[in-house]
Amino acid sequence: MLNYTLRRLLTVVPTLLVLIVFSFYLMRLAPGGPFTSERPLPPAVMANVLERYGLDEPLHVQLFTYIKNIVLHFDFGPSFSQKDRDVNDVIAQGFPVTLTYGFWSAVFVLACGIPLGIIAALRHNSFWDYSMTGLAIFSQIFPNFVLAPIMVLLFTLSWGLLPGGGWNGGQWEYIIMPAVALGTSYMAGVARLTRGSFLEVMSSPFIRTARAKGLPERTIIIRHALKPALLPTLTYMGPVFVYMITGSVFIDVFFSTGGIGQDFIDGAYSRDYSMLLGLTILYSLLTFTLNLLLDLAYAWIDPKVRSKL
Amino acid sequence: MKHRSLLIPALLSGTLLSSVQAATVPDSATLADDQTFTYRVMDEFSSFDPQVVEGVVGAEVVRDMFEGLYNQDAEGKNVPGVALSHTVSDDNMTYTFTLRDNAKWSDGKPVTAGDFVYAWQRAVDPELASPYAWYMELMSIENASAIIAGDKPNTDLGVSAPDDHTLVVQLSQPLPYFDKMVSHATTFPAPKWAIDAHGKEWTRPENIVSNGAYVLTEHVLKERSVRKRNPMYWDNDNTVIEKVVTLNIGDEAQGLTRYRAGEVDKTEIPAGQYPTLKDEFPDEAYALPRLCNYYFTFNVASGPEAFKDARVRQALSYAIDRSVITDAVLQGGQFPAFTFTPGATANFEVPEVEYATMTQAERDAKAKELLTEAGYGEGGETLSFNYLYNTSETHQQVAIVATQMWKQKLGVDVTLENQEWKVFLETRGNQNFDMARGAWCGDYNEASTFLDLLTTPSGYNDGKYSNAKVDSLMTEAKSSQDTTPLYAEVEKILADEMPVVPIYHYSTNIMLDSAIQGWPINNVEQTWYSKDLYKVAQ
Repeated sequence: MLNYTLRRLLTVVPTLLVLIVFSFYLMRLAPGGPFTSERPLPPAVMANVLERYGLDEPLHVQLFTYIKNIVLHFDFGPSFSQKDRDVNDVIAQGFPVTLTYGFWSAVFVLACGIPLGIIAALRHNSFWDYSMTGLAIFSQIFPNFVLAPIMVLLFTLSWGLLPGGGWNGGQWEYIIMPAVALGTSYMAGVARLTRGSFLEVMSSPFIRTARAKGLPERTIIIRHALKPALLPTLTYMGPVFVYMITGSVFIDVFFSTGGIGQDFIDGAYSRDYSMLLGLTILYSLLTFTLNLLLDLAYAWIDPKVRSKL
Repeated sequence: MKHRSLLIPALLSGTLLSSVQAATVPDSATLADDQTFTYRVMDEFSSFDPQVVEGVVGAEVVRDMFEGLYNQDAEGKNVPGVALSHTVSDDNMTYTFTLRDNAKWSDGKPVTAGDFVYAWQRAVDPELASPYAWYMELMSIENASAIIAGDKPNTDLGVSAPDDHTLVVQLSQPLPYFDKMVSHATTFPAPKWAIDAHGKEWTRPENIVSNGAYVLTEHVLKERSVRKRNPMYWDNDNTVIEKVVTLNIGDEAQGLTRYRAGEVDKTEIPAGQYPTLKDEFPDEAYALPRLCNYYFTFNVASGPEAFKDARVRQALSYAIDRSVITDAVLQGGQFPAFTFTPGATANFEVPEVEYATMTQAERDAKAKELLTEAGYGEGGETLSFNYLYNTSETHQQVAIVATQMWKQKLGVDVTLENQEWKVFLETRGNQNFDMARGAWCGDYNEASTFLDLLTTPSGYNDGKYSNAKVDSLMTEAKSSQDTTPLYAEVEKILADEMPVVPIYHYSTNIMLDSAIQGWPINNVEQTWYSKDLYKVAQ
C-alpha cells in the first residue's frame, strides 16, 4: 500500500507540469488581456504595466519564470485584478471559507443521505421508501440556483431566521444555507445510491449466510452490510467532495461567502492569468489528493481491491 | 507674475462653507443610535491605493479614506478639501493651491503639500505602473507624458511644494477645467512613510495611513470591508456616520433581497425593476441621471461602403424611436439621447439639433427619404450589416428593438453578433466590425470627456471617425474660457454627420433606505462621501 501511495505521488509532478503548460498556453489564446479595458491604456502606460507584471516577455520566458517562482518561493504571482494582492493571498483568504462550507455540506450530504437510503432500503416498498424516493427525486431535480433563492425568501425574508448571505467570520448561521443549498441534490443522490446498493447487498449470499447463522439483524446491517453497501456512495462522493470544497461559483456569488469559487470565473473574465493558473493548480492538487485518499479508502473497504494494489 | 484669484464660491460665504462639507443635520431630525451605513458592492475592489485604484466602487471607498485638494458638494461643485483655495496665473498654466494647516493623517502627522507632490509623482512613475497614469496626462501636468514614457525622471513632473501649505502645479497647456479634476482619487495624497515601510501591503487595515474622514479597519476579500471614522480628520466633529460597511453581493437580485431584509441600506436596482419598486417604495427607489452615454458606432474607416455616406448613417439614427428603448425596454429613467454629451454635464447646454425637435413620425419619414436618396431601401439595394455588442441581456434587448425598427421602417437587414467583454473590446478596437455598441462614462464633469472621443487622435475612437473641424474645435476648447458655443458646434456637426448614433443617457437606479439622509442626488457624477450622510431614527 505504501509502495502504491508513493508511486501515485510520483506521478503528480509530471501531471501538474503538463497541466500548467497546457493551461498557460490555452489561457493566452483567448483574445484580450488583463489590461484590455473599455478605455484602452495609452501605449506608454500599457508598456509600463506589461513590464511591471512581466507580460512583455516572450511566453516561454513567462512560463519558465512562473514555474521557477512556484518551485523556489511557492509564489503564484500577483493578481492582475486585485492589485494590492498576490494570488497566494487571495487563495489563503478564500479557500478556508470554501473548505468550511464545503465540509459542512459534505457532512450534511452524508449525515442525511446515508440514513435516508438505509431506511428506505430496510422498509423496502413501504410508505417510508416511497416518501424517501419522492423526496430524493424532488431534491435532485431542484438545482441549487432554484433552491437557494427559495431558501432565502423563506428563512431570511419571511421568517427572519437566517442572514441572506455573507460570511461574517464563518458564524454558523451564515454557513447553513450555503451548505444545504450546495448539498441538497447530492444528498438525494447519496440516498438513492445507498438505497440501491443496500438492497443489493442485503440480498447477497453472505448476508443470507449471516442470517442463517442467526446473527441479529442489527449486527448484520452494521457489521456486514454497511461497508460494502457504501462503496458506490464513496465512488460518487469523491469527485463531489472535490467539487464542494473547491467552491461553487453559484453559491459563492449568491451567498457572497467570499469563497474561491467565484475567483475562477472572475479570473477568466478579467484574464487574471496568474489567478486562473493558481486556482487550476490548487484544484488539481485537491483532485489528486482526494482521488488517492478515495482509492486507499476502497482498499480499506474492499479486500478485492486491496489485493490488487 | 500677476495672479487672478479664483477663490471658489464656497469660500466667499462662510455659512456655505461649513454647511456643504459635512453632514448637515437639521434641528428637527432625530439621529439613529446606530450610525452605521451599509451598502452593496458587486465586485471586489481593484485596490485601496489612491494612485492605483480603478473603477467607480473602488473610488468611492478611497474617497472616504483619503481627501484630495477639493471635494465635491451635493451639486457636484468643488468645495475645500485639503486645499482651501487656489489661484491661477494669467496664462492659465500655473495653479497655486493653498492647503489648510489643520489636515492630518490618521497617524497624526500633518498633511503637507509634499504628500501631494509624492503622490502625483508616484501616479506617473513607470515603476508603479498605475493603469490610471493616463489621468495625469489628461490633467496636462507638465512632463507627465515624458515621465510615463520613461524619457524623464518622475521628479520632473510639473508639481512642487515651495512650503508645507502651498502646492504649485505647472501645466503643459492651459486647461480651463483643471480644478474640476482634482477631486479624483488619482490626485489624492499618499503617505510615503507607510508605503516605504510596507510596500504593496500598505493598504492592509493594519498598515494603512489615510487622511480622509474614515480609516479602513477590516477587509475580507470578496466579502466585506469596514471603515470607521478617523479621529484625526480635521472635520471629524461634523461627521455623523460612525462606521461604513461594504458587503460584496455579486448577484443584483440577491442585493435587492438583502435590502428588503434590512441587511444593506443601499443597493442597485436590477434592470427593468425600477417602475415596480418605485410604486412599492416611493421614498426609497431613485433614478438619478448619470454622466454616461449609450451609442452605436459606425465603422466609417473599414466598415461597409454604405456607412461612408452620412445620409445612411443619419437614416439609421432617425429611424430609432429612442423613447421606446428608454420607456418600454429599459424603464429605469434613462434619457433619450440626440447628442453625444449627456444634458446633465456641467456647462453644457444641449444644442438644438434638428432631428431632436422632430416628431418620431417626421424622423421616420426623413429616414426613408435619406436612405432612398443614398440608393438603398425602396427601389435600391438592400442595406445589410452586422451589429456587434458585448454579451448582456440589456444590450441584447436594445439591439433587438433597434434592429426591428430598422427592419420594419427601412427594410434594413441586420445580423446580431455578441461577444464576451474582452473579446468584444479587442474586436472593436481592431475595427473588425460594421456597427458596434459603445458606451462612455465621463471621467470628469465636462463635455470634453465625451467629445474628445470623436476626435481623430483619440485612442477610444473605435469607429475611426475623423473631421478636421471637430478636431480644431476641440483643441480650441482646451484653452477657451467659454466652451459652450464650441461644444454646441461640435454636437451640430455630429448630428449632421452622425458618426455615432446616440441612443440614451444613463441613469443610476438605486434603492436607498429612507433613514439615510444627505445623499447627493443632484450630483450627476454621484460623487458621494459618507461624511456627508447621517442616519435618522425611524
